[in-house]
Amino acid sequence: MNVIETTKLFKTYSQGDIQVNALNDVSINFEQGEFTAIVGPSGSGKTTFLNAIGGLDTPDSGKVIINNTDITQLKSNQLIDFRLRNIGFVFQAYNLIPVLTAKENVEFIMLMQGETAKSRKSRTEELLNAVGLKEQINRKPGQLSGGQQQRVAVARALASKPQFVLADEPTANLDSTSTSNLLDIMFRLNQEEKMTFIFSTHDQRVIDRAKRIITLEDGKVISDVIQ
Amino acid sequence: MLIKLAWRNIWRNKKRSFITITAILIAVFLAIIMRSLQLGMYDNMIQNVVGSYSGHVQVHSKGYWEEQTIDNAFEFNDSLIQKIENNINVSNTTKRIQSGCLSSNSDLSKFVFVTGIEPQKEQLMTDWNKRLIDGELLKPNSQAINIGKGIAKYYDLHIGDTLIFIGQGYHGMQAVGAFQVSGILDMKNPALNNISVFMSLSSAQEFLSAEGLMTHLVINKKEYSDEKEIVASLQKELNKNYEIMSWQEMMPEIEQVIQADSAGGLIMIFILYMIITFGIFGTVLMMTQERKYEFGVVVSIGMKKVKLMISMVYETIFLTSIGIFLGILLSRPIVLHYYNNPLEFPAEEAEMMESQGFEAVIPFMSSYDIPITHGLIIFFISLIICIYPIITIYKLNPIKAMKR
Repeated sequence: MNVIETTKLFKTYSQGDIQVNALNDVSINFEQGEFTAIVGPSGSGKTTFLNAIGGLDTPDSGKVIINNTDITQLKSNQLIDFRLRNIGFVFQAYNLIPVLTAKENVEFIMLMQGETAKSRKSRTEELLNAVGLKEQINRKPGQLSGGQQQRVAVARALASKPQFVLADEPTANLDSTSTSNLLDIMFRLNQEEKMTFIFSTHDQRVIDRAKRIITLEDGKVISDVIQ
Repeated sequence: MLIKLAWRNIWRNKKRSFITITAILIAVFLAIIMRSLQLGMYDNMIQNVVGSYSGHVQVHSKGYWEEQTIDNAFEFNDSLIQKIENNINVSNTTKRIQSGCLSSNSDLSKFVFVTGIEPQKEQLMTDWNKRLIDGELLKPNSQAINIGKGIAKYYDLHIGDTLIFIGQGYHGMQAVGAFQVSGILDMKNPALNNISVFMSLSSAQEFLSAEGLMTHLVINKKEYSDEKEIVASLQKELNKNYEIMSWQEMMPEIEQVIQADSAGGLIMIFILYMIITFGIFGTVLMMTQERKYEFGVVVSIGMKKVKLMISMVYETIFLTSIGIFLGILLSRPIVLHYYNNPLEFPAEEAEMMESQGFEAVIPFMSSYDIPITHGLIIFFISLIICIYPIITIYKLNPIKAMKR
């Protein structure tokens, strides 16, 4: 069953007088439970593709269908709500809210969803426990290491029980131990909860663990392999 | 959570928040002190004039103010007076009858104003009784008179001497009488000292052949009440045979002086507010600009822009409210101190002011209206400033915001 269906996505940017084809006839489908890495050199269109399927950016043409909804047709406010309920994000720079503790950062998403205090508390503890941060729940991002912050970001991404998680270069700022720990956690969640993970990455360690590798170049899919 | 988020965000940059709060505190503090001083000075000036003679509101028969003769005296029954005294803004009332006449002693004569008063009630109204410098004050139904020190000096009168009056009574009757001086007053005003003669209401009515009549019903308002409200309500209650005038209508020149001076003070406060507006705006501008990336992140993960706007409004409100609260808190003891212990003018200026009938002190005004007004002004300024982050968030594109 497809979680995401993209059809003939085109996106062009202007850089001065030059037109850059960030997405050039991209059609990719993702199934439930995939652990996919999107790879390619800088400027190949990885982030643009993630932004398009994450509802952060609108393609010039083409469709992005998630849960039978073409998100390219949604208005700004509807997109925000759609992202909140269907998509989890993990960013390269962690992007936790600095004034909130690890626990509050995870709870924040559920609060936006209108979850009760009781369910927020139990899910937050469950998620932070799953990413191995049971002891650090009351620490603020500034009191956590990069690896720990990224694990909180993963817990936050999963808090809303999304259809899939988009991770844009999640290991770019992490050392090898933290990267290995993070990948273990995400891989376990993928295996145990059938959570779909889609990464954009340059990191060979991520590529090695991915089940499917899609390579983009100049906005085009040049390979799509299952390993 | 939004409130918690806003509160914590304020303290992300403690130094900046501290500076902003201090700037607001100083602005509120200065505005309250300046205005309390200024309004206290005006209030005292009004009290000096109103308290020494006119009262806050006067009721006359129609046309009396234009033609101030005894023939324009009027009758006023006690139930109507009771009705006026029951008005929520009215403190007390007193009757007066007044007429100009010629005074005479040995071979000297002089024009004076004879005023019949109710001594007990007059003391509640004006502070003329505090100005006794010799003899004793009038008593109800007394046949004697109290005179200004200018008159006493002119005739070289002392307590127990007699002064003769000749004038016109009610409806052309002749008013002639000789009265013994029982007290000499310093009216703190050279003009008033030279023309003021007080006698009991009953003596004056008898002298002027105007039994049961009066020329003025003088009304004193309660502290911080509005005399214009009293005038408006009395105009509804009394029929058109009466004219009801506030002190501003009777002495427009005092109000004009106050308005002119007050305008200067308001310009100063306006400048202060302009400075603080830019101070708060600078902080909000920085708070907004440096967090654009973060705004992009929270909108990306699903926070509605409206909630983000509310969070920013909370932040601005918290920041200004702390400054306002501390400004009021710090200014209050100073205002209360100078309300109870007014500032005193230096000796030379004090003498000059007293010779013009003004007390040489400046008491602060302690009304809560002043801190509330200035607190609210700053509060509304901060709400207007919130428009900037609201517009920024409204226009926010998360992708652009997250590009460093």
